[in-house]
Amino acid sequence: MLKAAKLCALACASLTLACAFAAPGAAGTLESVKQRGVLQCGVSEGLFGFSERDAKGGWSGFDVDFCRSVAGAIFDDGSKVAFVPLSASERFEALRAGRVDLLSRTSTWTLEREAGLGLAFAGITYHDGQGFMVMRDLNVSSALELDRATVCVESGTTSQLNLADFFRANSMTYEERKFPSAAESLAAFQAGQCKVLTRDQSALYAERLKLPQPAAAAILPDVISKEPLGPVTRADDFAWFTLVKWVNFALVNAEELGISSRNVAEATASHKPDVRRFAGQERGLGRMLGLEDAWALRAVRAAGNYAEIYERNLGVESRLGIPRGLNQLWNMGGVLYAPPIR
Amino acid sequence: MRTCDDRMASASATLALVIGLALAICLPDAADAQAALKPVIQETLQIGDEPGRISTEEVVITDGPYARQVVFFRSNEAPGTLIIHTSERFAYLIQGNNRALRYGIGVGREGFQWSGLVRVSRKAEWPDWRPPPEMIARQPYLPRFMAGGPGNPMGARALYLGSTIFRIHGTNQPETIGHAISSGCFRLANGDVIDLYERVPVGTKVVVRQGASL
Repeated sequence: MLKAAKLCALACASLTLACAFAAPGAAGTLESVKQRGVLQCGVSEGLFGFSERDAKGGWSGFDVDFCRSVAGAIFDDGSKVAFVPLSASERFEALRAGRVDLLSRTSTWTLEREAGLGLAFAGITYHDGQGFMVMRDLNVSSALELDRATVCVESGTTSQLNLADFFRANSMTYEERKFPSAAESLAAFQAGQCKVLTRDQSALYAERLKLPQPAAAAILPDVISKEPLGPVTRADDFAWFTLVKWVNFALVNAEELGISSRNVAEATASHKPDVRRFAGQERGLGRMLGLEDAWALRAVRAAGNYAEIYERNLGVESRLGIPRGLNQLWNMGGVLYAPPIR
Repeated sequence: MRTCDDRMASASATLALVIGLALAICLPDAADAQAALKPVIQETLQIGDEPGRISTEEVVITDGPYARQVVFFRSNEAPGTLIIHTSERFAYLIQGNNRALRYGIGVGREGFQWSGLVRVSRKAEWPDWRPPPEMIARQPYLPRFMAGGPGNPMGARALYLGSTIFRIHGTNQPETIGHAISSGCFRLANGDVIDLYERVPVGTKVVVRQGASL
C-alpha cells in the first residue's frame, strides 16, 4: 500500500495535478487513515441538526457523529476526525481528489452519482423525503386531504415537480405559489398566502423553528418522494467502502440489540451470542475489516448507537424534534434494517 | 406510585409479592440505587407524588415531540390497536395506511418496565387512588385513600389493562411526560388521556414493547 501511495505521488507530481491533497491512490484508504492518525471527513458547511460548528470550533450533528463513529471503529477514539466543510458543488470532487476519506454530508443516493461519478454510497443513514407543513387550525392529518389547497414552493426545484406529480397521481388539484428562494416561500406561508408549504421533511422541521409560534404549525406524516441520504466513499477502494458500510450497520444493529454508549461494559460481559459477536468476544470478525475485534462496540462508544445519534441531533433531545418515522427500526414501525454481524 | 393500584389488595399473593419486590426498587428511596441504571435516552426523573396538586383536564402537551400528533408508523397490527414503546416514551394508536396517532407518555422506572399483550378491561373517569400497603410503608405521608378529582395523581381517566394492576392513566404532574417515573403504569397529560379514552373502547388490544436488553 505504501508503495502504491508513493507511486501515485510520483505520478501525480509529474502531472502536477491534485497533489496538494495527497490523494491516497486506488486503494488503501484505511492504511492512509491509520498512518495519518486521523479521519478526514467531509461535512456540510453548516446545516441545523446535521452539521454545525459552535463558537469554539466544535462540531456537532447527525452527519458529524457518523464521522466520529467511523473514527471510533478505527482508533477507538471518536475525536480523531478532521472535519472538512464542503459546499454542495465541491463535495464530490473533493472526495474523488482524496481531500477527504469519506463524505458524510446530506447527500442523496442516486444512480447518476454512483455510476456517473465513480462513487459508492455506503448505505442510507437518513431516509428523507418531501413533505408538507400546514397550520394546525387547518385541521388536516394527511396530505390526501389537501385537495384545492394553495401550496407555497421554491421554484425550479425537484420539490415543485414532485408536488405536481403527487397531486396529479391522487386526483387532486392545487393552486401553486412559487418563490425563487426557500426563505421567500416560508415568509409567504407565514403571511398566510398559502395554506401549505412543501419541502424535504428535515428542512421543514428546521423552517418551522423560524416561525413565531412553531407549535401552531404541523408537519404531515406523508413523505411523497425518496431522498435517501448516506455516507459516500470512492468506488475504487472496496475494502474501505465495506468498512464504512458496516459501521452504519453496526449503529443500527446496536440499537436493535440494546447496546448503547452507556452500557458498553455490560455488552462486553453479556452472554447473548449476538451481543458477544457485536462486542468482539467471539471469532475474528474485526480482522476481516482490518480492525480490532471490538470495532463495532468502539463505534458505538464514540457517538452512541443509531437511536442516540438520531435523538440527540434530530429527534426528542434536539430542537428539531423530528419523529423517527421511516428512520425507525424495521420492527418498530420504520424501515431501518441492517444485516447481521456474524 | 404511581399507581397502579386501587386493586392491589385483591391481586393474587404471588403477583403481590412480585409487585412488592418491584416496588422496592422503584420507589423514591431506592433512587440512588437506580442512578446507575439509566434508560437509554431520557434520565429517570426523581420526583415524588404530589397528591393534592391540581392539574386541570385541559392540560395537553402542545409542543415538542411529546405533543399528540399523527406520524408515519408501519405496523401489522389492525387499526385501533394501541402500541406502547416504553423505551421511546410514546404510545401509538394505529390508524391504518402506515399512520398512527402518537402520544407522549411517562413510563415505569428502569427495573420496572414490562412488556406483553393485554386488552383494555375497564375504563374509568377521575379514578380513585388507594396506595398499596407497600407504598404506605415507604411513604407514610401518603393518603390511604384519595377520591378521584383534579388533585389526584391518577388524573382524569384510567384505562385498566387486562387483569394486571397496571393502567394507562392521567396525571397531576404533566411535566413528567417523557420520563421514566411510574411503577409500571403509563401516564399521559390529562387532556391527552381524555382524548385517548374517547378513542379506545373496552377490549382494545394493547401491545407493550420494550427496547432489547443485553
